[in-house]
Amino acid sequence: MDFSLLLQRVIDGISQGSVYALIALGLVIIYRGTGHLNFAQGEMALFATYCVYQFGEWGIPVWIALFMGMGVGFVVGAVSEVTLIRPISKKSPFAVFIVTLGLFTFLNWLDGAIWGNQQLPNSGVGSKQQSFPDLFPADPEDQFNFLGASIRYERIGILLLVLVITGLLFLLFNKTKFGLAMRAVASNTESAKLAGIRTNLVLMVSWGLAAAIGAVGGVVMGGLNNSVGLGLMFSIFIYGSAAATLGGFDSPGGAVVGGLAIGLIENLSSGYAQKWIGQELKLAVALAIIVAVLLVKPSGLFGTEKVERV
Amino acid sequence: MKSLFTIREGGAANWTLRVITMVAIVGLMLYIPTKWEAGTLNTAIEGLTYMSAAMALNLVLGYTGQISIGHSAFLGIGAYTTGIMVSRWGFSPWVTFPVAFGIAFVIGVLISFPAARIKGVYLALVTLALGLVFPQLATWKKLAWITGGGSGLPIACPATGVSRSCEGTEVPTTGFNIGPKSKGQMQTFEIFGWNPFGDLRRPDNKAAFYYWIALVVAIIVYLACRGVVKSRVGRSLIAIRDNETAAAVMGVNLVRTKAFVFGLSAGLCALPGCVTAIKTGGVSPEGIINMTVRGAITFLIVMVIGGAGSLAGPVIGGALYVFVVDKTGTWADDDKIPGVLRPFFAWSEIPPGDGIFAVLLILLMFVAPRGIAGLWKQYIHRIVRVIPRPAGAIGATPAMATATATPTSNHEGEPQ
Repeated sequence: MDFSLLLQRVIDGISQGSVYALIALGLVIIYRGTGHLNFAQGEMALFATYCVYQFGEWGIPVWIALFMGMGVGFVVGAVSEVTLIRPISKKSPFAVFIVTLGLFTFLNWLDGAIWGNQQLPNSGVGSKQQSFPDLFPADPEDQFNFLGASIRYERIGILLLVLVITGLLFLLFNKTKFGLAMRAVASNTESAKLAGIRTNLVLMVSWGLAAAIGAVGGVVMGGLNNSVGLGLMFSIFIYGSAAATLGGFDSPGGAVVGGLAIGLIENLSSGYAQKWIGQELKLAVALAIIVAVLLVKPSGLFGTEKVERV
Repeated sequence: MKSLFTIREGGAANWTLRVITMVAIVGLMLYIPTKWEAGTLNTAIEGLTYMSAAMALNLVLGYTGQISIGHSAFLGIGAYTTGIMVSRWGFSPWVTFPVAFGIAFVIGVLISFPAARIKGVYLALVTLALGLVFPQLATWKKLAWITGGGSGLPIACPATGVSRSCEGTEVPTTGFNIGPKSKGQMQTFEIFGWNPFGDLRRPDNKAAFYYWIALVVAIIVYLACRGVVKSRVGRSLIAIRDNETAAAVMGVNLVRTKAFVFGLSAGLCALPGCVTAIKTGGVSPEGIINMTVRGAITFLIVMVIGGAGSLAGPVIGGALYVFVVDKTGTWADDDKIPGVLRPFFAWSEIPPGDGIFAVLLILLMFVAPRGIAGLWKQYIHRIVRVIPRPAGAIGATPAMATATATPTSNHEGEPQ
């Protein structure tokens, strides 16, 4: 077995997986707060990603654009929660599902309506950018050799970025008063309300935070693909959900571990089983993982078991 | 609330309404093809496809409460079955309908076993993944020997590399082999010597032919759904939807019922896929968007907007969807938008159909979770109330099932 190739694939897999971890983190934050699976998570991220592209087009430096994009994502998530999810969640889980699906369709259409249904940036006239704004140096020569594997700075940067975000979230959850409130809402909304926690504010911020984190994932993905298109987040959402399922839907740490694991499995399986899985059937691997986890251990690796009452 | 008229089910007034409704529906079905114009008919065929698929989805989602965003895969199975059987093995397209139903039925039953253990939104997640995986599976290179891989069916001509453009040689399509008689291709479709469609090489006639196929398929799907919903099985489906544990306690065999309904739904959903394959004459995920996950979402939107858990719902939803999408299809070009609406839609780069339906979907969830059909049932009572036959009368179906789904209340002017 070629060791440097293995190392290469492991590193690529981990950095790819860190994007899934970001989407999974968003899903988990929302699930912990409200118990809903947000089908629009990927599309909220996509909208923010398009915005970042647009800011780049206006000449705003990419890191500032990223923060502005996160801001846009936060607003989209928070507004969706306040205006749509909160009132509808009184009705039924099915209604919430349909509304998130409606949001999914609407945001995807909105992206198309504003930016067209072509891949951006296209090399047409008037486009200032040749490629999607990169957060990290991503020219072909931006790499170094380590034990025979050529490692791109971009990949390392993405991994570090995700670790920083995870660390900040960990601090937010465990060391701040707001994090305490979030955990209280997650464990029992009614009791939290009685204890004087402003649960509505917590839920609103949770949705905003989830969408903002998703936005980072979208921008990273756009950088890796060098373009942004309407279908960008479909499969990323499935990988992210697979990560959240694997790690447990109520465990942020599980989401990160799950995301990295899914990225590894995806890259290794498509790399070493090129004839069978290759690039085409990568998604089937994610599907298989979701089904297997849901059948064998529905709570995931790190989630809490759910007890059903009649 | 008091209604203007009160009539008894099975009485003269009730039958009059039923007959008027039937006449109106049949009249509309007959009126559409008399326009003999390919564009309109193709839109109608598309509408019938959405109706059939949404009706099939309704069995699983509306009646049994099992969320599926993967029904596009079943439609795709139907399309590929027809495509493979016709273009590779030379079967008549008619034969492929029952075969596609059978294959999709078996696959649906197989899927139901894991689905029976996966609940709610998790099932939605799994089926969404299934819907996304299907096009990849269909174009997978290991399956290219049968599915034609990325370029789809019929397989490209070895000489030119382009589908269906080999000069001189006979190239199969995935539908009816319509063309000049000298090559032994069909020109007319005769039913016992009666030739209702004329020369099928004319696009208008061909479209009318396909319209009737699509219509018959939609009617078969409707009747199958109606038969199931009004039977004992249908009531156990609703019981599962309302409370699964209670249904099991009451003696509903969850595994067997879900297996049956998943299988039937999948099989019925494959039928419009066969129609699509026949109509387009080629099968590939790029060519038939309804077999990608976008199709599955559209079926769901059509079903929910029309009315989940009602027989008429998907029909209403499908008609509305196709009407709006067809009318707004050219609106990416600002000059095509009617004057009054221009300021609202001119900024959009793509047709606003999907956006309109997404907003409508969200709004309906707030005001009428049971869709347009539910809204209709809610307000029609102010005008006409049909008193159901008392339960237990000879030959009567149980009151609840009849009251919820009679086509009776469907025709008596506009509400207010």
